[in-house]
Amino acid sequence: MKISILAAAAALMAGACSAQAANIEFWYGNTGPVESAIKAQCDAFNAAQPQHKVTCVGQGSYEVSMQKAIAAFRAKNHPVLIQFFDAGTLDLMLSNAVVPVQEILPDVKWDNYIAGARAYYETSGGKLFAQPYNASTLLFYTNRTELEKAGITQTPTTWEEVINAARKLKAAGHACPFVTDGDTWRVLEQFSARHGLPIASRHNGYDGLDAEYVFNTTFAAKHLQNLVDWRKEGLVKLNADTKAGNYTAAFNAGECAMMEGSSGSYAASTKAFDGKYQLSVNMAPMYKGYDRHNTLVGGASIYVMKGHDQAQVDGAKAFLDFLRKPEQQMAFTAATGYVPVTNDVLEAINNSGDAKAAKYATAAIGIESMNQPPTADSRGIRLGFYVQFREIFMEETQKAYGGQQTMQVSLDNAKKRGDELLRRFEQTYKGVKLP
Amino acid sequence: MTSESTLFSNRWLPALLVAPFMLLIVLFFYVPIFQAFYWSFFLEQPFGGGSMFVGLDNFARVLSDREFWQAGWRTILFMVTGSSLAVLVPLILAVAADRKIRLSLPARNVLVWPKGVAGASIGVVFAFVFNPFVGILAPLNQAFPGIWAPGIDGTDAFITLIAAHVWGGIPFNFVILLAGLQSIPRTMHQAAAMDGAGPWRRIFDVQLPLIMPQLFLTLVLEFTESVTSAFALIDTITHGGPGGATTLLVYKIYKDGFSGYDLSGASTQTAILMVFVILLTAAQFVFLGRRINYER
Repeated sequence: MKISILAAAAALMAGACSAQAANIEFWYGNTGPVESAIKAQCDAFNAAQPQHKVTCVGQGSYEVSMQKAIAAFRAKNHPVLIQFFDAGTLDLMLSNAVVPVQEILPDVKWDNYIAGARAYYETSGGKLFAQPYNASTLLFYTNRTELEKAGITQTPTTWEEVINAARKLKAAGHACPFVTDGDTWRVLEQFSARHGLPIASRHNGYDGLDAEYVFNTTFAAKHLQNLVDWRKEGLVKLNADTKAGNYTAAFNAGECAMMEGSSGSYAASTKAFDGKYQLSVNMAPMYKGYDRHNTLVGGASIYVMKGHDQAQVDGAKAFLDFLRKPEQQMAFTAATGYVPVTNDVLEAINNSGDAKAAKYATAAIGIESMNQPPTADSRGIRLGFYVQFREIFMEETQKAYGGQQTMQVSLDNAKKRGDELLRRFEQTYKGVKLP
Repeated sequence: MTSESTLFSNRWLPALLVAPFMLLIVLFFYVPIFQAFYWSFFLEQPFGGGSMFVGLDNFARVLSDREFWQAGWRTILFMVTGSSLAVLVPLILAVAADRKIRLSLPARNVLVWPKGVAGASIGVVFAFVFNPFVGILAPLNQAFPGIWAPGIDGTDAFITLIAAHVWGGIPFNFVILLAGLQSIPRTMHQAAAMDGAGPWRRIFDVQLPLIMPQLFLTLVLEFTESVTSAFALIDTITHGGPGGATTLLVYKIYKDGFSGYDLSGASTQTAILMVFVILLTAAQFVFLGRRINYER
């Protein structure tokens, strides 16, 4: 008797579950204004249609989100949609935990995405693995008001001009001419891509898991040594050198006059500058004599995780379709500074009559930057355990900034430790072919 | 003295009362530890789905890794300096509070309060206290620019960490040591004083020898705890930096496992660290513990 009641209850529960199975979960890692924009999109989706309901869960950061996803996937308790950041691309491709979006949504016109964004997330067969979501790229931010005070009227476009401007600012008594956090994405990846330099052999790993790091032998090594020298001269400041303790906060507060930063921090900067300073954003500076290539698409994209029933997958598809809508992407861009990476959205912005508005400033420049002529080494980064490599790179270069060792020693160490990661990755996924 | 059998009439009752706690220990300690030892012999894919037996490869990899040894030496340095200070400072405070001096009563209360503050909170507070621009050392930086820079200089960051650790360790050790001091009979002090021993002499010849059991307890706990409890401080103050200068083993394990997805390597290091702590505690008992006289 008891057992039959239990069975009936279980059957009822199962029935109830399948009836409302369109309740889906989406995990993201952003905070601040970006998080508000994501939540607004979730609410809009739930209001726009009665069939599916998405619950959006903030995890505090990309790294934490990924950690939790790994644990959740092992416990078979994972969400159907998850946002991951650029560095985790290869880890996810080989994880056997996600389904390529292009496989789930074959009818979408994926070639609508600009080539730069596709290249980062597509397989060798040209299939997109993830749907780009909050795409960003590296931009050069200047505080026009402070620059003009020091007599600089032209926004610098080359590193030589940046440093000249920095010297003028310093001479004018400015405590922090140029600020960066020395983050791998900013000082190595985006620098190498736009200067046409490889980070690792085998075209940054696109051609095989047996790639090795080479950045310590390229012009990037010279640039990083320059950063050390410029910091000694008082022209370049790091996070710890600023009162604010963080490069974007220092720039936003007016403490620092120039910074290289993600387009994703544009909204915060405009808000902080409002009425106090004039902000300008441009493409990141180049060294003289180098041709400009594309910058990489950064930020994050959305993956569909395996192991969910059809109703959930349908809900996920509906949500992805919703996020791709031009008006959604435009609103998201306007609210955050992230760059829309589909051609139809760019057209929609151009036709909106608002194209020159400040809220779309990063869209035009960001796309221009990502649309520069590509090379085989500026497609993206397809290296395993790359999240940890980023940290190793930071750790080693910090030793150079702190004066413990030269930049070349730091880079050689980072290469050595990075190669160990690559070899372990190769061994972990023995016999697996790059998709 | 009551014998144990008269305390509980039912011999299963004690077992039942302990069971919930034992269950927690098994679930959150023994199972993960077993898992760590198990994984240390496998190469584990982050998302599961494939794991390969590699024998002692992980141990060979970890033991030949320079970063592992550096983190190990930093752990020992932190353990020795941090723990000694975390016992010495409360000892001085306890000896002072034990004497009938002004403010010793309120001090006994105030010094216990930090016990209620979580390690992570201590970290957040100390990050501000030692901030080079707004913290207590800011005037020093104004006089000599760049002399205190925990964000750039690894030594400064390490000092910050130790200071936070010692501060956080004061309450518990203070209470234990003070209790030890208070249990020394007044007559001992009086007898020593009659024999002409001054206050200093009495500290070294009467008080310290008599609180050896308490000193030993605090030292053992400090040594073993400092290996793992530094995590909350590192994660909130320095994040292991600058340049890895404050990456102790416990933080390296976390980084390798959770941001490097190196479950095998992290497990291997956990196993090694665990064996190290067990050996260390055993050594303390063998070499120090036997010399301590618990009788009064």
